[in-house]
Amino acid sequence: MTRPFILSAAIADPQLAVPATAAAWLDAAEAAGLDLLHFGEAGARPFDAQVLVAWAAPLTKRVGLVACVPASNAHPFHVARALSAVDFLCSGRTAWSVVPEGASEGMAEDMIGAARALWDGWGSDTLILDKTGGRYLDAAKVKASNYEGPFFKVAGPVNAMRPLVGQPLLVTYEAAPLAITDADIALVASPQKAAGATKTLLKITFETPLEEIAQHFAEGVIDGVHLSLTDPLAELPALAQRFAALVAANPGGAGNLRERLGLPLPATASNQPDGAKIPEIA
Amino acid sequence: MMTKQIHLWAFLQGIGFYPTGWKHPRARPEGVFSMDYYRSVAKLVEKGRFDAIVFGDQLQSRGAGGRTPERMAMPTLDPVSLLTAMSAVTEHVGLVATISTTYNTPEMLAERFAAMERITGGRSGWNIVTSAHPDTAPNFGEAELPPKDTRYSHAAEVVDKACELWAAMDRAGPRLPQGRPVLVQAGQSPAGRDFAARTAEAIFCPAASIEAGIDFRNDLRSRIAGLGRNPDGTRIMPGLSCVLGGSEEEAKANHKAIMDLADVALAIEYLSESLCCDLTPFDPEAPLPVAAIIANTLLPKSDVERMVASAAEKGTSLRDYAMNFMLHPRGHNVFIGTPEQMADMMISWRDAGACDGFTLQPSYMPGGLEDFVGEVVPILQKKGRYRTEYPGNSLRETLGLPAFARADA
Repeated sequence: MTRPFILSAAIADPQLAVPATAAAWLDAAEAAGLDLLHFGEAGARPFDAQVLVAWAAPLTKRVGLVACVPASNAHPFHVARALSAVDFLCSGRTAWSVVPEGASEGMAEDMIGAARALWDGWGSDTLILDKTGGRYLDAAKVKASNYEGPFFKVAGPVNAMRPLVGQPLLVTYEAAPLAITDADIALVASPQKAAGATKTLLKITFETPLEEIAQHFAEGVIDGVHLSLTDPLAELPALAQRFAALVAANPGGAGNLRERLGLPLPATASNQPDGAKIPEIA
Repeated sequence: MMTKQIHLWAFLQGIGFYPTGWKHPRARPEGVFSMDYYRSVAKLVEKGRFDAIVFGDQLQSRGAGGRTPERMAMPTLDPVSLLTAMSAVTEHVGLVATISTTYNTPEMLAERFAAMERITGGRSGWNIVTSAHPDTAPNFGEAELPPKDTRYSHAAEVVDKACELWAAMDRAGPRLPQGRPVLVQAGQSPAGRDFAARTAEAIFCPAASIEAGIDFRNDLRSRIAGLGRNPDGTRIMPGLSCVLGGSEEEAKANHKAIMDLADVALAIEYLSESLCCDLTPFDPEAPLPVAAIIANTLLPKSDVERMVASAAEKGTSLRDYAMNFMLHPRGHNVFIGTPEQMADMMISWRDAGACDGFTLQPSYMPGGLEDFVGEVVPILQKKGRYRTEYPGNSLRETLGLPAFARADA
């Protein structure tokens, strides 16, 4: 499939927690064809993003919702459940990042390891939902995690179905580096392919020359761009306009966020190749 | 004098009150994994003019003895996420999320509720619980739960600290619409009741009969007054489930149809979960294996001994005990009858001082909720005992509670 050019942006304004403002910004993000909207980012986290992505879920249809989670103020059991729920609510568009600010060294990585182990505890085809036969699920497909890291020990299994995207897409920041070698997306400040992630997004401003971006993309150095927004209603349409030619060739179409962005589950982290399947009931 | 108004909450965790509920033809067990389901349910609750939607929560890994149950519905999705998403498609209904003080720090839950409070425009509530299930501890790096009395004193500290954090956030601005979430509690034991009396602005409780409701409400009101708080500032909302029918006979037949969905294997799994002891390897036709239950349960052994004492004496079979146990889940009031009879029952409870309203637990979802909103709510409204419009926007206004007195006001 054609490699998509990924458009990503972050909002870290406390007004994102005010319903009327947030609704207008979400509409603008959708209208701009944004692939990823980050709720806060490294160094700027004025709200609990896990809550706000849940609110955004029913008000958006296409944009990926990235929750910026603080390693210093969260527990992987809660995070795994919250993002699992959000992923069902938004039909498979969930992503997350973990910021290490204020946490002990290694805690962010530990949180990622624990949450991934919990998500992987449920097989993608665990649910049966057979009303007549009476079997709700296949217990053989639910496995304890028995995760033991330096900060978090989580026995599991988590009491929630695996997300539709399997594991929410993991985003990392060059500016807040983690010892993670299998992230889905890395945000970098200079055009160089990130070593620890499948896709690399270049942090840009409106001054970054478009021709250079196009060339880096064509050469496979980057997979798209990321902009930190300060005036979303003005910047989102401008972003869409500026990159219209580059996204025009994107395959688009249906499927969850992993499928749409070409991000299979990292084999090293997952014992499950795909996301949850919910049986249909006649 | 104005007649006493009835408050209603919708307790919507899972696929209904009955463990068999998910198998009902009008249940949608697949729906709980989609926003379409939560959107339609939220709009239905708001159409029914309920004060709030409440989701319970469980932090334990499911399954006694490490055996995940296969026949019980387990859609335990995170309540804050579900409720916040439901707030985005509604305007008035309150959103009460259950969060444990045992395995959340004050900082974590203060941040979560602050975001929920802001983005819902002041419709958030916190059902304060302590984690009592022994299988919770290993998910948080611990071998065992803290002892019960420590859990409540710890809960009080967590609530106080969270309230301090909200006061600080509110002062720093932007303001939290209600100052803080409405505080809800569900204490049963004397320690739990004291905690509720000290803290709660609304209380969710089981009350199987009108007498039990009166006793509970009187007891809580006197505890609240004893602490110098105004008892009228706390809503007492016992659980209520129902199976309706056009006639009493039809209602009974509808109830039987739900019960007939029970199979022995499901009943034994449900009992295993409730007793924290895996009973699936035992012969259903043999007497309830009381000695094994007492030896293996992770619950306090004296509680379990009390539960099974009579079965032990009579030699009741595992099958009969489990099937009977399923008929009476969780000690709540279950009404079986016509909508008119149900409305009369609710009014009589309210007039007798057995409650301020009810926490409706539909027997299966969404069919049970549809029946109640379509058939009972209009009767209560016609009798002038239930609102036809919301009084305002915040949960506090909807509950008719005084505005929260801010620390710096």
